[in-house]
Amino acid sequence: MAARLAEEWFAICGGCEVTILDIGEPLLDVLKQVEIVHMPVIMDHKLFGQTGENAEMEIPAADVGLISGGIRSEEHKKLALEMRKKCTILISLGSCACFGGIPALANQYSTQEMIEKVYRGSKSTESNGLPHEQIPELLDRVYAVHEVVPVDAYLPGCPTTPDMVANALVAILEGKPLPALSSKSVCDECPTKREKKAVGTLKRRYDSPDFKPGAPLSEMRCLMEQGILCLGPATRGGCGGDSVPRCIRAYMPCEGCFGPLSEKANPMVDMMGALSSIGLDPKQIPDRAATFNRFAGAGRLRPALRR
Amino acid sequence: MGMSPVQSVSAAAEAPPAETFQPLIIALCCNWCSYAGADLAGVSRIQYPPSIRMVRVMCSGMVHPNLVIEALTKGADGVLICGCHPGDCHYQEGNLKAEKRAEAIRLMLSDFGIEEERFRLEWVSAAEGPRFAQVVRDFTEQVQKLGPNPYRTQ
Ligand code: SF4
Ligand code: SF4
Ligand code: SF4
Repeated sequence: MAARLAEEWFAICGGCEVTILDIGEPLLDVLKQVEIVHMPVIMDHKLFGQTGENAEMEIPAADVGLISGGIRSEEHKKLALEMRKKCTILISLGSCACFGGIPALANQYSTQEMIEKVYRGSKSTESNGLPHEQIPELLDRVYAVHEVVPVDAYLPGCPTTPDMVANALVAILEGKPLPALSSKSVCDECPTKREKKAVGTLKRRYDSPDFKPGAPLSEMRCLMEQGILCLGPATRGGCGGDSVPRCIRAYMPCEGCFGPLSEKANPMVDMMGALSSIGLDPKQIPDRAATFNRFAGAGRLRPALRR
Repeated sequence: MGMSPVQSVSAAAEAPPAETFQPLIIALCCNWCSYAGADLAGVSRIQYPPSIRMVRVMCSGMVHPNLVIEALTKGADGVLICGCHPGDCHYQEGNLKAEKRAEAIRLMLSDFGIEEERFRLEWVSAAEGPRFAQVVRDFTEQVQKLGPNPYRTQ
């Protein structure tokens, strides 16, 4: 019998849904064993019934539930509770669901401040007042899914990786335990050459590093030691599967998309330590909290005390 | 409270008013200079306030900022790191690393809403027993003025 799959998306960009498609050919085999019962991005399954006849939102029962996106509104919260009720296994898909992701950068401001800025305050906006009809109330901040309902597994990454999604689905179909997350950092999985000392000072964000095209990455000096801010020391590994981390492979610094090293870790503290330890000047990072918690704002970023 | 007779006498002699706030300060002292300096202060019977809890580390350069931030966000009233004077580091450059990290620590303290003055980095050599006692006296006084750590009362 095919496994029933439900998917919901909350505060997201949709990139993580594209990642499911990115699984490529192996997806065809997986789909043979899966029956999708709810997935707003590809199917017309209405929450209040096809003609809007129901009073409550309803999601059909499923063996596996995927949620992408953090929880920003009352509607998201209700749907998360409904997904939890109806799905045997519930998975957070992507960094928005796992840690709030990019939308949770807004957690640096109160909801009121944010609404003001978006609908009235910004210079490029011609204000037509605040939207108020038929829209769900916003919560006080963006929440990661597990802050609202218990979650059985996490597939971090912005977007997450096709391999991780495929492995998780295959494990479920075969009745095996879900694959665990890497316990290493991106640095642990990075092959670049380290000498524990920076050469020069911090460069601009997207300055090109020194490397010989075609030469193995193990001959390139660590990007951070070259002065290019890289969040590898404070970021959970695993994005490259058994191989080199995704961004490093492209000679780009890690942005931190796999989230902090552990639930309790504080990436800002870890990164400030890493920067200063190799002799770089941490004062040069303009927006510390947001830069180092770019994908992990849920529960980590909060409005600054304004005096 | 298990106070030795000497301690209880000296505490009585100083007789601080009952409401004086006694800060709790974590002192991380390097094995080669500062811990020996603190030891010297002890064997020379130099008086200093009983505010510090000392942790011996091999080098001031091995104290990562997360330890300091953690101590302060978990309720310590102050953190003191002591290392060898620049140029005297047993590992050559450990204390210079500590100095770089101190900058990062100060920046983050403001992010965490903690007064910068709750953290200090000082150089104390193995011969500077009196200086160690002086540093502890000064720092204790400074932290006393700030009052209890805001994280402790939250
Ligand atoms: S994790 Fe990234 S790719 Fe996925 S939904 Fe969020 S913003 Fe989009
Ligand atoms: S800081 Fe970046 S480039 Fe350097 S080792 Fe870590 S992941 Fe690799
Ligand atoms: S290297 Fe960092 S930013 Fe890039 S994919 Fe991996 S975890 Fe994400």
